Amino acid sequence: MISAPLSRRGFLAGIGGIGAAGLLGACATGSDSGSSAASSTLTLQSSLSDPDPKAALTKVVEGYTKTKTTLNTIAIETFRAQLPTYLNSGNPPDVLTWYAGSVARDYASKGFLLDVSDMWTGNGACANFSPALKELSTANGKQIFVPTNYYWWGVFYRKSMFQQWGVQVPTTWDEFITVCKTIKSKGAAPITMGTGSTAWVASGWFDYLNLRINGAEFHRDLLAGKHPFDGPEVKAVMDHYKQLLEFIDPKGRSYSWQDAVTPLASKKAGMYLIGAFITSAVPADVVDDLDFFQVPIIDPSVPVAEEAPTDGYFASAKSKNPAGAKDLLSYLASAPAQQQFIQLAKSSNLPTSTQVDTSTFSPLVQKGIKMLGEAKGLTQFFNRDSSDELQTTADTALTKFLDKPGDVNAILTEWQASAKKVLGS
Amino acid sequence: MTAVAAPARRRSRLRAVPKVVWLFLLVPALVEVGMVFWPAVNSFYLSLTEWNGLGAAKPVGLANFRNLFSDDVFLGALKNNVVWAIGFGGLSVLGGLALAVALNRPRRGVGLYRSAIYLPMVFSLAVTGLFWRVQYQPDGTINTLLGAVGLDGWEKQWLANPDTALYAVLVAAVWRQVGYVMVLYLAGLKGTDPTLDDASAMDGASAWQRFRFVTWPQLRGVNTVVFAVTVIDSLRTFDIVWAMTQGGPYHSSELLSTYMFQQGFTFLNLGYASAIAVVIFALALVFIITYLIRATKEEAG
Repeated sequence: MISAPLSRRGFLAGIGGIGAAGLLGACATGSDSGSSAASSTLTLQSSLSDPDPKAALTKVVEGYTKTKTTLNTIAIETFRAQLPTYLNSGNPPDVLTWYAGSVARDYASKGFLLDVSDMWTGNGACANFSPALKELSTANGKQIFVPTNYYWWGVFYRKSMFQQWGVQVPTTWDEFITVCKTIKSKGAAPITMGTGSTAWVASGWFDYLNLRINGAEFHRDLLAGKHPFDGPEVKAVMDHYKQLLEFIDPKGRSYSWQDAVTPLASKKAGMYLIGAFITSAVPADVVDDLDFFQVPIIDPSVPVAEEAPTDGYFASAKSKNPAGAKDLLSYLASAPAQQQFIQLAKSSNLPTSTQVDTSTFSPLVQKGIKMLGEAKGLTQFFNRDSSDELQTTADTALTKFLDKPGDVNAILTEWQASAKKVLGS
Repeated sequence: MTAVAAPARRRSRLRAVPKVVWLFLLVPALVEVGMVFWPAVNSFYLSLTEWNGLGAAKPVGLANFRNLFSDDVFLGALKNNVVWAIGFGGLSVLGGLALAVALNRPRRGVGLYRSAIYLPMVFSLAVTGLFWRVQYQPDGTINTLLGAVGLDGWEKQWLANPDTALYAVLVAAVWRQVGYVMVLYLAGLKGTDPTLDDASAMDGASAWQRFRFVTWPQLRGVNTVVFAVTVIDSLRTFDIVWAMTQGGPYHSSELLSTYMFQQGFTFLNLGYASAIAVVIFALALVFIITYLIRATKEEAG
C-alpha cells in the first residue's frame, strides 16, 4: 500500500472519485497501470483464482507468443465488484474472463464491450460454435462474448450404491420418487444438498423443476420479471419441490455444496443435483464410481431443456489494441487452447469448439456432451440468467421454504415483492 | 492545560521546527486526506445517488434513506446490530473482567492460563469463524458433546437455524475478544494500588466490597478504553459473520456491515450501500461523541 497513493489519486481524479468502491479500486487498478506504458502489451484480467484453473490459464497464456500478454488473477468477489471499474477506466484490461448471460448483456448495452461479431462468421474462431452458444453470446444483434467452455448439471449418484440398493436410474417423476422412497427405506438420505453457506444450490432444483414443468421460455421470462413468482406456475413448481423435502438430508442446511458431497461419497446419501464441477470435490477413488442421470421428465409435452452454464471471455470496448484483443480471444477460443485449458484445469467442463477431440475425455464427460447436444433449449443457472441480486431473493425464499414448507404462499408473495424491487431498480 | 499563557512561546517554537519536518508531516497528511477523508466524503455524496459503478451517478436526494427504513432486511440488520453490540460488548467485558480478576494474583501456572485465554486473539476473525463453523456442524463437537451428556434435545443446526445463528456467531466472536479485554483489565489491575486493597481488607471489607468500592473506581481509565474498543469492534464486525453465515439463513444474522457489503460489492448498488455506510457512521459517531464527552469531563473533574 505504500506505493499506492500516487496511482490512487490519479485513479480518483480519473473517474471523479467514487468513495467506497474506490478503496478497493486502488489495489486492483494499480496492478494494470503497468500496461499503460505500451499498448503493445495485452492484459488479461482473470477471476480464475483456484489453483488448477489458474495454473491452466497461465500455461495457455504462455503459449500465446504474438503479443506479450500479462495475466492478472483476482479473486472472484473482488473481480465482480470491480468489473464496472475495470471496464470504465481509461486504460482497461483488454480481455477479461466472465460468463455468458444477463450481466454481460447489461454491459454490452452500455457500450462497454468490444463487438466481436466478425469472430463468429467466415473463418472466425467461433464460427463453428453451436447456434445455442451464439445466441447466448449475443446482445442487440451483435456478438460480444467468446464462450470457451461450459458444463452441465445432473443428478449425480454412485453406481455401486444404486446396485446395492437395487434401484434403477429413473426417467420419470414417479420413478424418481419411488427411488427416493427405496433409498430412504435402506436408511440413507435420498438427496443431499448443501444450502448452508452456498444457498444458491437450492436454486438447482427450482430451475430444473421450472424447466420440466413450465419450460425454458417461461423460466427465462420469469427471471426477466415477465411473470410473477407468486403465480400459479411457480406454485406448481413449489408443489413438486415440496414432494422432495422429506427426502433431502436436513443436515445439508449447515453444509456448503462441497460439504454436502461427503455424505454422497461416504454412502450416507444417494443423489445430488449439482453441476459437473462435483468431480473436483469427490475423492479420487470415488470419481470412477460416480455417474449422473438427467433430471427426470415431469411433463413430456414440455421441450427438454438443460442447464449449461457457459464460461469464456469478453474484451473491453476501450481496449487500446482491439485487433490484438481479438487475436488473443481467437487464440483462447481455438481448439488446442480449449483442450489444453480443460485438461490442465482438471475440470469436467466441455469445450465449445466442435474441433476439440473429445474422445480422450472421460465417459462421464462424453455423457454430458451427449445430453446437452440433445437438449431442445439451454439455460445457464438462476444467477447467470438473471443477476446476483435476484439470486439472493431466490436464496432467501428457497431456504426459508426448506425450513417452513407450510408457509409457501407467504414466501412466494414475499419473493415476488423483493424480486420486483430488484428488477424495478 | 495551560493554554492561556502558551501563544507567544509556541510561536517561537513553531519557527524553530525545520522545514523538512513540515514536509514529513505534510506527506502523511496528504495520504490521510486522499485515502481516508476524500473517499469518506464521497460516500456521503454517493448515499444521495443511485450508481452501479458505470457512468455518472444519478442524484436521487434522500430516496435511499427513505427506502432503507422500509427495507425489512435493513431493519432486521439494525436490530441485530443492537443485539450484537449489547451481547458482544456485555459478554466480552464481563468475561474479560472476571478472568482478569481471577488471574491477577500470582500463582503457579497463571501465565499459562493467561496465554491460553489470550491465544484466540492471534487468529484472524475469518479463521475464528471457520474454526467455529466446524464446531457448529450438525455432527460437530458441540452437538456431540451435548449428546454425550444426555442433552440430545438441545442439539441443533446452530448456524442454519434462524433463531440461533446470530447468537452462535456471537459466542465465537466473544470467545476471541474475551482474551483481549482480559489483557486490558490485567494491565489496569496492575496499575491499582495494592496497599488500598490490603487496608480495606484490614478494615474488614468483603472480597466483593473490596472489588466494588476499592478496585473498580481505580479502573475508570481502563474502562473508557475498553468501552471505546468494544463499541468500535462491535460496529465494525464483519468478517466473522461473513465467514460463518454470510448473514443467513435468510438474513437472520445480517448485520449492517454485511448488508452494506452485499449491496455494495455483490450487487453494485453503490448509492444504497453508501446510505447504509452513512447510517453506520452516524451510529459510531453517537457512541464516540458520548465517549469523548465523558472522557473530557472525567479529565476535567
